[in-house]
Amino acid sequence: MATIAASRIKRELKEVKADAELIKDDVSVELMDNSYLALTGEIPGPKDTPYEGGTFHLKIIIPETYPFNPPQVSFTTKIWHPNISSVTGAICLDILKDQWAAAMTLRTVLLSVQALLSLPEPDDPQDAVVAQQYKENQDAYRRTARHWACAYAGAKSSSRELDEKVERITEMGFNESDARDALSSTDWDVGRAVEKLMS
Amino acid sequence: MPDVKTPSGPENMDSDPNSDGLKHRAHANSTDADEASKDSENAGATGGTATDSAEKDGAGSQESLFECNICLDTARDAVVSRCGHLFCWPCLYQWLETRPNRQTCPVCKAGISKESVTPLYGRGSTKQQDPRDKIPQRPPGERPEPETQGPFQGFGFGDGGFQMSFGIGAFPFGFFASTFNLGEGGRFMGHPHRPQVPPNPDEQFLSKVFLWVAVLFVIWLLIA
Repeated sequence: MATIAASRIKRELKEVKADAELIKDDVSVELMDNSYLALTGEIPGPKDTPYEGGTFHLKIIIPETYPFNPPQVSFTTKIWHPNISSVTGAICLDILKDQWAAAMTLRTVLLSVQALLSLPEPDDPQDAVVAQQYKENQDAYRRTARHWACAYAGAKSSSRELDEKVERITEMGFNESDARDALSSTDWDVGRAVEKLMS
Repeated sequence: MPDVKTPSGPENMDSDPNSDGLKHRAHANSTDADEASKDSENAGATGGTATDSAEKDGAGSQESLFECNICLDTARDAVVSRCGHLFCWPCLYQWLETRPNRQTCPVCKAGISKESVTPLYGRGSTKQQDPRDKIPQRPPGERPEPETQGPFQGFGFGDGGFQMSFGIGAFPFGFFASTFNLGEGGRFMGHPHRPQVPPNPDEQFLSKVFLWVAVLFVIWLLIA
């Protein structure tokens, strides 16, 4: 039933475009090629969250059985969030699995992902390290998520302190991204982060 | 010759108005139908303007009232769920087949089943039936019986006799009770709800007849 999938995606794109003209800072969807089976999505970071001001990109793969089965959605922009893998960008969201319903659209999916950014669910984590930090050190989680949004999603007003810590480790000859990962998972303790990178 | 005229006059009067009346009725019917069709056309026209205005509003919801919630196209072979959501039957069928163990409405996740959806038949929809080999037909529309007004509508005259014969056949004790009661008039039998009305003479006669039949029956039983 690839024909249903293609014609539905065509319709949804039209509607997303129509909505985008009306609503500012809305989610958006673009075709990756002309097959209607691979798309890219864009979500603005929600207000009053560490992700505010960032723009997050997603990859959307439409199965041939769409809309009877959910699209596969993952972040291509790196993000620090309990329900999103900081390594692969995989999302843990029930509507993308067993709670999918055929009446949902790409727009409602992206809005749900955006809502997930505002309301993390640490008891059902995708990234155990982030979830643990979220539960035990909420402040560190916020600063880390903010730092990542600035580093990868184009958000502004990053914390100077954290930037310096990353710099210190990269000066030791480590990759910036690895340095950031290590610092993030050690609550920004430079000593432990270096230890982690050495091991 | 007024005698001839007078009978023929009323005859004419009788026949003519009748035929006129028939013609009038026929006319009335045709005009009704015409008006109805005009009405529907008007309704169609107003519907069209409504969607037009919706388009002008820029909501992008043109004709979306009758779009299938799954394929987002205008619903074909439309069915509606108990929760009120519209689908193409092929789309809904495929959705229910995709997850046989979780039958929920794709829109509101209310319980749903193939049997509980109602098909919608628009005007002339039967002509548009296209053959669907793999997908079974839409379930037929339900035809619930009209509700009846109370359970006691069939009871009237003569039920006393009926009740008595029943008493003999099924409950011999009922028969004895009825014989004992007869001295006061057989009206209490089998009808405790009925107010005490003076016994109907017909009814009384009937119960006496039945009583004699019963007595004869018992005697026959004793002899045989």
